Amino acid sequence: MDIAFDKTDLEEIEKIKAKYPTNQSAVMPVLWYAQEKFGHVDEDVQQIVAEALELPEAHVYGVVSFYTQYYNKKMGKYVLDVCTCFSCQITGGYDILEYLEDKLGIKAGETTEDGMFSIQSVECLGACGYAPMLQVSNDIYVNHLTKEKVDKLIDSLREDKMPEFESIPLPQHQNEEN
Amino acid sequence: MPEIFIDGKRFEYEKPQKVLQFMLDHGMELPFFCFHPSLSIPANCRQCMVQAGTPVFNKEKNEYETDENGERKIRYFPKLMTACSLDMSDGMVVKTHRSSDLVRRAQKDNLEFILINHPLDCPICDQAGECPLQIQTYKYGPEGSRFEFKKVHKPKRVKLGPRVTLDAERCINCTRCVRFCNEISKTNQLTIISRGDKNYPATAPGKEFDDPYSVNTVDICPVGALTSSDFRFKARVWEMNQTPGIDITNGKGTNVDLWTRNNLVLRITPRYNPEVNDYWMPDAGRDAYKLYNENRVSKPEIRLDEENSSKTTWNNALETFLEKITEHSADEILVIGSPHASLEDNYILRKFFNKIGVNDIYYTPHIEAGAGDGFLLTDDQAPNTRGIQHLGFTESEDLARQLSSDKIKVVIVLHDHLLDRSAVTTEALEGKYVISFATNNSEMTKASDLVIPITCAAEHDASYVSIDGRIQRTFPAKETIYTNRSLNPEMGIGRLDRYGTKFDNWITDQNKVDCIPAWEFLMRLSKRMNQDIEFTESRQILDEVASTIPVFEGVSYERIDEENGIQLPELKETEINPA
Amino acid sequence: MSTDWKSYKPILLPNIKNLHQIEVYEKNGGYESLKEVIENKDDKWAKDKVTNEVKSAGLRGRGGAGFNTGLKWSFMPKPDGGPRYIAANGDESEPGTFKDRQIFEYNPHLFIEGAIIAAYAMTVSAVYVYIRGEYRSWIQKLQKAIDEAYKKGYLGKNILGSGIDIDMYLHSGAGAYICGEESSLMESLEGKRGYPRIKPPFPAQKGIWGRPTTINNIETLSNVPYIIKNGADWYSSIGAEKHPGPVLYGISGHVNRPGVYEYPTGMPVMTLINEVAGGVSNGKKVKAIVPGGSSTPILRADQLEGLTMDAESLREAGSMMGTAGLCVLDEDTDIIDFLWRITHFYHHESCGQCTPCREGTGWLEKLLLKIKNGDGEVRDLDILLDLCTQMEGRTICALADAAAWPVRYTITRFRDEFEARCKKTIYATA
Repeated sequence: MDIAFDKTDLEEIEKIKAKYPTNQSAVMPVLWYAQEKFGHVDEDVQQIVAEALELPEAHVYGVVSFYTQYYNKKMGKYVLDVCTCFSCQITGGYDILEYLEDKLGIKAGETTEDGMFSIQSVECLGACGYAPMLQVSNDIYVNHLTKEKVDKLIDSLREDKMPEFESIPLPQHQNEEN
Repeated sequence: MPEIFIDGKRFEYEKPQKVLQFMLDHGMELPFFCFHPSLSIPANCRQCMVQAGTPVFNKEKNEYETDENGERKIRYFPKLMTACSLDMSDGMVVKTHRSSDLVRRAQKDNLEFILINHPLDCPICDQAGECPLQIQTYKYGPEGSRFEFKKVHKPKRVKLGPRVTLDAERCINCTRCVRFCNEISKTNQLTIISRGDKNYPATAPGKEFDDPYSVNTVDICPVGALTSSDFRFKARVWEMNQTPGIDITNGKGTNVDLWTRNNLVLRITPRYNPEVNDYWMPDAGRDAYKLYNENRVSKPEIRLDEENSSKTTWNNALETFLEKITEHSADEILVIGSPHASLEDNYILRKFFNKIGVNDIYYTPHIEAGAGDGFLLTDDQAPNTRGIQHLGFTESEDLARQLSSDKIKVVIVLHDHLLDRSAVTTEALEGKYVISFATNNSEMTKASDLVIPITCAAEHDASYVSIDGRIQRTFPAKETIYTNRSLNPEMGIGRLDRYGTKFDNWITDQNKVDCIPAWEFLMRLSKRMNQDIEFTESRQILDEVASTIPVFEGVSYERIDEENGIQLPELKETEINPA
Repeated sequence: MSTDWKSYKPILLPNIKNLHQIEVYEKNGGYESLKEVIENKDDKWAKDKVTNEVKSAGLRGRGGAGFNTGLKWSFMPKPDGGPRYIAANGDESEPGTFKDRQIFEYNPHLFIEGAIIAAYAMTVSAVYVYIRGEYRSWIQKLQKAIDEAYKKGYLGKNILGSGIDIDMYLHSGAGAYICGEESSLMESLEGKRGYPRIKPPFPAQKGIWGRPTTINNIETLSNVPYIIKNGADWYSSIGAEKHPGPVLYGISGHVNRPGVYEYPTGMPVMTLINEVAGGVSNGKKVKAIVPGGSSTPILRADQLEGLTMDAESLREAGSMMGTAGLCVLDEDTDIIDFLWRITHFYHHESCGQCTPCREGTGWLEKLLLKIKNGDGEVRDLDILLDLCTQMEGRTICALADAAAWPVRYTITRFRDEFEARCKKTIYATA
């Protein structure tokens, strides 16, 4: 894909800029937009973002390198962020990570040869009661992981089927209904 | 008047400042890294912590509360405060390391933290000897290290730009370089990348740090993270002599320091002058050291025939010069002064030639449109244009046409590479006898029939007037064959000169140039012609300039030195005062 | 108190199907508080009256610091005609915390209504909701709810015919725990690296884009409609005396029924673990708990007797309320491994701006890794405690404190376990 913003992109960027009083504030949502479009925000993408917002390129680079969710290079088609922090650690997060690493044949921080999967070991994702869990491509959370559930997830991802959003009912509501 | 107590001493102040700035202004030392008087305050190095408190004011009784000893009750802030960001207030009590154990502990702890990932590069680091980290660790830091792990590794020897090299491991992330690029040079080329202890400064990927003021970040970097690619590994700071000078590459008159070792100028750094250049200088001015060292004209040169010139004696040069000006009439001689030469050289040039009947001394300004940027770069490429404007020189509109007139037989050029800067052409000079006073070899000296070597700005004390009308002066930093550092009170002497023997210093005579100031040569000439131009030092020349030309009234070397340059009052058109 | 918790009916997350849809929310009394405030804005519910009501209700921030919300609102200066902002802090990256997402999912309009009332009280023109970037699904849900509110005239120009304009925008973070710190959040909103600012100036004086700003947690703002509806006295009678109101407990770790539960403050910890969350999983015993997210000091099982979850009680016991994200560790948990992973978290999340935190968090992790692997010595424990003193209170923001407290208190409270993992030292350190 050619790294450039077309007319619709620029219109979207104008809409984003309208939410903030300064151009600089729009850099984070525009970087998200660019990452959704190109899959990453490497130096070429940073260049067009800087141009679109009239910001110094060094500033955009500084912002990209500060936040962990902006990818500085091309990642696998599906990025699997496994939480191994705090509650997830004590409920088996590292076991799930190891299982996933063995299954896909790569270590955390690497991408598979066929470019399908990247694994990352990440900090708390805010799903501590549903541990262990992982996030797919900065989007859907897959909770209550077991080895079987991981197998099922990988299989459906290989068929290009993203998991659906799982709405976990509040246990207090379940108690009431009982 | 509001008062503040620092370590028990009472100070009065008028306008509230930041505590650190106040302490520095009053000569009280406090360790710091990230603070810089001309940049914004980030308070991120945490080294300047002090214990501060304010007296308790009882609003009902309208007085300060006191304890049983009658002393004011002080409510100290619960945490230590950074002095650089702490605003002074009336009655504030500040305790530094001189009177607080907690502050001493905090300073030591902070240095310990800075040093845990700092590489042990002192033996190979340029900054050694002028490194605030070294100095502050020695004075306030921990005895040894408790850190027994692998230090964080980051890129070393990164070519950040054409003139700046980055060693990311040494960086303590004070962000002075980033703030400089954002606030002073306004190019926004630097940023800190990554997070936590993996962060370091960088440019945008694929982009260079080619800011025209980039090497200033090397000066302000408190450690050896940013180093000048040009100066890297050339010399240790304590081996060099530091002499004040003026930037002669453009008309701004930026104050600089020349660093010399073994009579070579090794680097040029800016000197603080709040009226002219603050703490900064343009990168273009730093390359001037090459002009001082290399490609110098040493010993007079005389042309033998079409292709050949040869070195000759001073006597021969004097005699030839004399011959040429006596055998021609005054209207056959064209004398060209120079905005590149000092006030003294130009003044004696005019005085001498006026005495032999040449009334008009011409010059052509060296202006490059578009070179200036409103900061420290100017369109005017010469340091003394305004000076010679007021010496009564005539600005030549078309030097080439003047030269090509058949009437002119002898052309005398003072320190101006007219051919190189395309102010004249070789055709225009054909058939004339051209005498150049020059510091460096150039097209002009090749085309000249007689070349007199003169001292450059690093070798003489002389004054220059900047485009803003400020008269400033240089000091001799480099010896010539005829000057001696120990004898000349104007020359700076360093550690190697004061201590040690000749055998320690391995000084050679190779770097001394056989040249004399232009005014001295002209004075010798005038003696041979029985004129009465008699000076022993350049300061006497300036005294005469000051007493004869109203614009320069009241100016003298003493006053320039005391006031660090004198802003001449409104320069207006003046009459030419014949000598 | 401890007996009638069973009859508590949740109000922040009530059991009403599809409450996230605005029609259902309105049908169940939603936006009534906002309407009442707007209708009575010239007398009963003038701006400072709203602020005073919130102040006397005793609502304390639910983001971890527990500062009186009404008091924080009163720090805003007098309006000068320029824009003023509320930044709603939905960054929720503190390990152990997963409560604000429930509000986004199950009752977003409660938060929106609370934010609008707060915006009215402080003369705020725009509310920026900063949500952590990983919560993409919940950002989408909240955006839908905001669009619904705009359509019904609760947001935008001339709200409910009052002549007041209030806008609400969502801003997505991108993976930085430090951006939950209020001044770092403001820097991130301004499109910069999330470096916390030096204080003073405080956000109410100089906030986003230099304008007066107040930063409140999502859950805190969600309490506001109820304070208006039922009054400050009613609110301050719920839960603990000095720390009233309902709170969302996020119970996780080794329990049978982990999840978010809404109960009044002051719930006994053992009740929460054994009765509400179904007891320790696999029939084991409790070894320790971390009451309010990873920054709060750990408490041993023998310190939990009679302990209630409210700010004062926890402070006396030597810990903090934090975000009420209670994590339960069973008897087989390796405390050293647990502590190492916490230091790894802070090392990863330190922004790197100031020296003690940037270097200190890295050194803490390296020391704990050494001890975890069995290569540590007892003097390393003393160095760790020393480092904690060197980091606390010396930095621009509280991340260094948050990194140092778990280390200090876990080591002091589980000293035997740490020493057992260490090698014998031949000499003592200076």
